Amino acid sequence: MKKRMYKIMALAMTAAMVVPMAAQTTAFAADDKEITYWNIAVESPDKDIVTAAVDKFNKETESGYTVNQVAIQNDTYKEKLVIAMSSGECPDMYSSWSGGPMYEYIDSGFAQPIDDLLDQSDVKDKLLDAAIEQGSYNGHVYAIPYLNVSLAGIFYNKDMFEKYGLEEPKTLADLENICATLKENGITPFALANASKWTGSMYFMSLAARYGGLEPFQNAVAGTGKFTDDCFIKAGEKIQEWVNNGYFPDGVNSLSEDDGQAKQLMYQETAGMLLCGSWYTGTFQTDSEEFYQKIGWFPFPAIDDSDADPTIQIGTVGDQFISFNCEGDKLAAAFECAADHLSDEVADITYSNNKIVPVKDAGDHIKDPVVKEIFDAAQEASSIQLWYDQYLPTSVASAHLDGLQEVFGLTKTPQEAQEEMQTAMDEYLSTKSDSGAADDTAEEATDDAAADDAE
Amino acid sequence: MNEKGISLVQLRQRKTRQTAALFLAPVIILLVVFIAYPIIDTFITSGYQWNGISADKKMVGLANWAKLIKDTKFWIAFKNNVIIMILSIIIQIPLGLAMATFLDFGGKKLTIFKVIWFIPMLMSSVAIGFLFTYALATNGGIVSTISGWFGGSNIDLLGNPKLALLTVILIIAWQFTPFYMVYFMAGYTNIPYDVFEAARIDGATRGQYFWKIALPLLIPSIKSAAILSMVGSLKYFDLIYVMTGGGPGTATELMATYMYKESFKNFNMGYGSAIAGGMFILITMVSMITMKLINGKQED
Amino acid sequence: MDSYKKSRRKSIIAWVIAFVLAIGAAIVSFTPFIFMVLNSFKEKFEMLTKGVFQLPDQLNWSNYTEVLTGGFANYFKNSVIVLAVSLILLLFISACASYPLARFKFKMAQPIYAIIVACMSIPVHITLIPVFKMAKSTGLYDTIWSLIGPYVAFAVPISVFILTSFMKEIPREIEESAEIDGCGKIQMFFSMILPLSKPGMATLAIYNGVNMWNEFSFVNTLTQSAQNRTLPLAIWEFQGQYSMNTPMIMAVLTLTLLPMVIMFIIFQDKLVKGMTAGAVKG
Repeated sequence: MKKRMYKIMALAMTAAMVVPMAAQTTAFAADDKEITYWNIAVESPDKDIVTAAVDKFNKETESGYTVNQVAIQNDTYKEKLVIAMSSGECPDMYSSWSGGPMYEYIDSGFAQPIDDLLDQSDVKDKLLDAAIEQGSYNGHVYAIPYLNVSLAGIFYNKDMFEKYGLEEPKTLADLENICATLKENGITPFALANASKWTGSMYFMSLAARYGGLEPFQNAVAGTGKFTDDCFIKAGEKIQEWVNNGYFPDGVNSLSEDDGQAKQLMYQETAGMLLCGSWYTGTFQTDSEEFYQKIGWFPFPAIDDSDADPTIQIGTVGDQFISFNCEGDKLAAAFECAADHLSDEVADITYSNNKIVPVKDAGDHIKDPVVKEIFDAAQEASSIQLWYDQYLPTSVASAHLDGLQEVFGLTKTPQEAQEEMQTAMDEYLSTKSDSGAADDTAEEATDDAAADDAE
Repeated sequence: MNEKGISLVQLRQRKTRQTAALFLAPVIILLVVFIAYPIIDTFITSGYQWNGISADKKMVGLANWAKLIKDTKFWIAFKNNVIIMILSIIIQIPLGLAMATFLDFGGKKLTIFKVIWFIPMLMSSVAIGFLFTYALATNGGIVSTISGWFGGSNIDLLGNPKLALLTVILIIAWQFTPFYMVYFMAGYTNIPYDVFEAARIDGATRGQYFWKIALPLLIPSIKSAAILSMVGSLKYFDLIYVMTGGGPGTATELMATYMYKESFKNFNMGYGSAIAGGMFILITMVSMITMKLINGKQED
Repeated sequence: MDSYKKSRRKSIIAWVIAFVLAIGAAIVSFTPFIFMVLNSFKEKFEMLTKGVFQLPDQLNWSNYTEVLTGGFANYFKNSVIVLAVSLILLLFISACASYPLARFKFKMAQPIYAIIVACMSIPVHITLIPVFKMAKSTGLYDTIWSLIGPYVAFAVPISVFILTSFMKEIPREIEESAEIDGCGKIQMFFSMILPLSKPGMATLAIYNGVNMWNEFSFVNTLTQSAQNRTLPLAIWEFQGQYSMNTPMIMAVLTLTLLPMVIMFIIFQDKLVKGMTAGAVKG
């Protein structure tokens, strides 16, 4: 009796531990000639664009490599990358945003510079200069942008503007007049869903750039200035003024961008304008072609008594950047695949979805008038500042977003929020200088990682 | 005679230990591999300043822990967790018990209630987050609409730092009460039918049966339910992360959401691990003390 | 006679109140589910313009046909396999572990119980990196089999906790009489304790079944190819970087939920009073 029970137990144990191992057969199939490519293109049209590029590469390449693309949903993508990288299992090729996280990946040795490959290929001449700049770090190019040029700008309902006799504003004062008129007519001026936090940051960045240009921001990042600079405080104060005037929807901090609560206000025509990234052209169009016809766009207007350059834009020149964690032939093959994202046939798919490929001749391919306006603004821009929340080190970005949300909620003054942001920046700079010696080790780690790859 | 007796007892004890070890072995192996190892790993990581990905870690000793003890955000998160814990016990357990009692008295005829009441437990956080975000919208949401009927103004529930936590607690209660219902239904099955029969023959009303007979017999189930609710509340993550992300400000920040953001979003794995370690210590302490307190009298 | 009538009237009033409350609770429980289903029949633009809480213009089945013709069947298959294997394994080993903790007298019982309970307080996210490394080194990464270990291990503490307290409630006399009959501890477990623990096991099956079915973190970490994903990741196809197709997601979630309702209806049957009483008598 007892023996039988022992046997049963032993069997159960074996089942728990061994069956899974025996059951796996094919997981090791990935050989050296396969390039693993992680990206966030789970949904069309992004999925179609990336798939077309990968298919093109797999069909046409003479490198002998094949690319295996793995699409992962955006919300957990960063988490998945962190887990893979911390275990030394970083994919050979991965797409991400530019800015803080990308620099962190580079510093940790998970991205290889591609200057030489870029010099040899026609991609360098093709890409917008600003695009290459946003893919660079410490004087080297690390990433190839594709997908979309996105600027922060204001979408508005043309019918509504016509009905109330409004025109695209030239100055902030004009914009505020528009807001007042809309408000009088029972319409919320701005559709904003700020539970997501980064949506409110669009207003803050635009205002700060118009009040003080980009210098205060650049200085604060470099440690030579402060985030308590006048232009940031003024931006925060203007936002609170607008909140008090009722220019944003009720309960703005509880509305969710992801759940579509901002665009819903536009569709229901209870809000007149929406300040957000210009990827919204695609969003509007896929939701309703008919509604999209009502949409107009203008860049954030200038401020009368400010001498800041009004052509400065906030945005990203690419929206997604492909980084490379491999070297030698494999790197060359991966680079070829990245270049295929910018090839004419793939670009056609991108353009047809009202997205702007970050290349110089994009203007020739754009037919949509709104998209054309956006591209022109990008071309005329004296410089394009990447979104704060992507550009800044992540801890500073969090401090910025959390504080700003409370500014919108009127539970913090702009001064308090900016001081907290500065504290986070100070803390970051001090840990960076602490580990100044560690930078060399990071370099070594890069070499080690590269050596591992070669094995 | 005496000697033999002792050795027999010893023999039986040894046999008991062997059998116990055999029965416990699979669970212990599994826990060591999947839980003990990660916990140790976490405590080790908490001694480093590490972005979570680089091969280069910087040993900082107890610096992360010193920071944690002074970190007001962590303690706010802990306070929020404790509020969730207390309110969850107060709301979910009595409601679950009431539901189970109703179903127990009614018998099979009420199965339809059982199934409908259980539905919230089955819904995914994504759906719950989406539907409640719209239902609670300040303008046009259901709560504001109802308030409008009674002449009230729009109510901002999730965006208001004073109300956000309470609102989420009610949604969590909505989702988890059915679990306690099922739990207490199982508890009722432990009360032999004869006890119920005997009470009825003695002329006890259902109210008397519940308060005088069933409730005392259910006390052990209620105690374990309280512990489950406590531990669950102290490590809660899901709906808060989906619905508020810890905001506005730190109004709904929890230990788990804070730890997640530091570890996986802010490239602060070392500090995130210290938060996780702190969480582990606090939760274990709170649950062990409570267990001692509520089981103290009955044990032995 | 009079007092009997009075108590009858009182009891009727009590039942009426109870029913009103019960129906109220049912409405609160059920309404979100209804809206999830209703929205799954809408067009995307329709949902946004008309609002989430309006009836759909028409029952638009195309969301469902699109979901079902996509990868859904494969996700479903994976979910069923993982759930079945994990749940059976979990119930068996937790019952094994709870038995000595609840019914034996030995020195280590208390400390072991305390350690297992302490394991309940582990936040899932700290285990992701170690578990990922293990899956990589065992070659289980990107297979559904890598999910079983973590799923079972994570459900064990709470299961042992519940079952132990459940088994403690089983009257001692049963065991004593069996022991006099010369029944060994192991035999007792299979012939007496296990059948008597059915309601506790059913509770666990329901609770852990639901958790495993909706589990997200591990499957996100441990798999990468689409063919090895389970149902909670099926909504990805409709969640873009900047917008999502909510009606489609609601259709996926509705389809995901239905099998669990069926499972619940099957298992809740084990939670009806009278069963144990019968077993004890036998």
